[in-house]
Amino acid sequence: MNDRAVRLGLGLVTLALMLVALYMVFVYVPTEADQGIVQRIFYFHVPCAWVAFASFALVAIAGIFYLWLGQQVWDDLGYAAAETGMVFCTLVLVTGSIWAKPIWGAWWTWDSRLTTTLILWLLYGGYLMLRAMAGDSEQGARFGAVVGIVAAIDVPIVIVSVRLWRTIHPAVLVTRQGGHGLEDPRMVATLLVSLAAFTALFIWILCLRFVTLRMHTRLGALARTLALAEAAAHD
Amino acid sequence: MDNLSYLFAAYAIIFAVIFGYVLFIWRRQVALEAELRAMEARMRALTETAGAARKAESRAGS
Amino acid sequence: MNSFVAVLRKDLMLEVRGGQSTVALGALSLLVLVVLVFAFNPGGGEQGAEAAAGALWVALVFSGMLGATRAVSAENENGCIRALLMSPLDRAALYAAKLAAAFIFMTVAEAASIILMVLFFNLEFDARVMRLVPAVLLGALGFAALATLLAGISSRLRGGDLVLPLLAVPMFVPALIAGVKASASALGGAPFGELAVWLKVLVAFDVMFVAAGYLLFEHVAGEE
Repeated sequence: MNDRAVRLGLGLVTLALMLVALYMVFVYVPTEADQGIVQRIFYFHVPCAWVAFASFALVAIAGIFYLWLGQQVWDDLGYAAAETGMVFCTLVLVTGSIWAKPIWGAWWTWDSRLTTTLILWLLYGGYLMLRAMAGDSEQGARFGAVVGIVAAIDVPIVIVSVRLWRTIHPAVLVTRQGGHGLEDPRMVATLLVSLAAFTALFIWILCLRFVTLRMHTRLGALARTLALAEAAAHD
Repeated sequence: MDNLSYLFAAYAIIFAVIFGYVLFIWRRQVALEAELRAMEARMRALTETAGAARKAESRAGS
Repeated sequence: MNSFVAVLRKDLMLEVRGGQSTVALGALSLLVLVVLVFAFNPGGGEQGAEAAAGALWVALVFSGMLGATRAVSAENENGCIRALLMSPLDRAALYAAKLAAAFIFMTVAEAASIILMVLFFNLEFDARVMRLVPAVLLGALGFAALATLLAGISSRLRGGDLVLPLLAVPMFVPALIAGVKASASALGGAPFGELAVWLKVLVAFDVMFVAAGYLLFEHVAGEE
């Protein structure tokens, strides 16, 4: 099957990029002066966030196409993007928490980036719960598309308002400074390679999930046709 | 927990979660392929009975 | 325009002639405020102002969810919704009417909440309370826009009551942040400049969500 070749190819590219990224994170890049080795979490934490936000945009775009064209393939893509994005969003929060603990002594800080990601996580969760409740129906797809679109246009306002919230009120809590003040070019290179690796990982996983959803859709249609044909044959 | 443990924990969780999700997808894929084979079997059965019925009809008709 | 006015008039008349929605929303707001007073045990002064602002907005969110659900599902009993959808009624006008109804319910409940808030949190009925009003109105409009659209979805799903708060709350966060900050500033007597930033966020929020609701409601209210 042609798509099996694609999935395998993507998987291999992902593996290769991941291995290079791992080498760079653990061997190549120098240790950061202030935070020590824990700072290396950054190189995988940031790409997860990039993927989580990008995937959300994809959910919305798929939703727009679904409402416009009415083709199930767009809904399958949107759902795959939502599930995949949820996984990466969870990783952002978990790795962010693990990074925060040794640096700032607290498992959670309400700094603007973590807070925004938490809201994103809740929006993903809401979408997936809605789809679970609506079941395998056209209504579920339609509602999902609407929610995906509305949530996506919400995200920029969330980003702005949370940032204002955290700067206009000088925080009593510890806020995370920069994190992108990368002085050493090797750090920049490592981050870029990690971004590439995670983008490949995202595309690969998205494809895997998308293919299962397409199969499910096609099997559903096939089952209906078969049932009709079998009923007719028994007359 | 010293800092190395935190680093390890973060990367371990990343791999565990990714691996777990890929595994979840793979199991879905296997189940769907089994369903597909079952349907193909039903289709073959249908075409065979239809073919047999047509043969019986043409014999009866001649 | 006519269909918008017609549906809105119908909903408002139903309410005036003995509907229970505004009473229910008022009661809910009262209860929420009482709970929060016990929860925060506020002193007076600036700490009191911040707690009061927060409590006000919690009441707004909870009563807003109830209000939107009621406005949207008013026709679901007796199957009137089917009749409504079969008429040549513009879906966007239907949304606007539901939004307006929800907004009006919420505004009445908010007025009651503001009075209660001043009483419970030991504030004064002075100019600072008046400066709350723009933020609260903008927040109510934004929440009504959001919740009317989402309630359209949740009212059409079995067991959908969980979906509305689950989706509405995270989506409302920017307006909630802005609203609470603006309200706390107003009650604390801060200069208007401080308020202005947050009001701009609220306006942006309202514009986006009213527009989004207006465009997307037809996909929610379609035939089953």
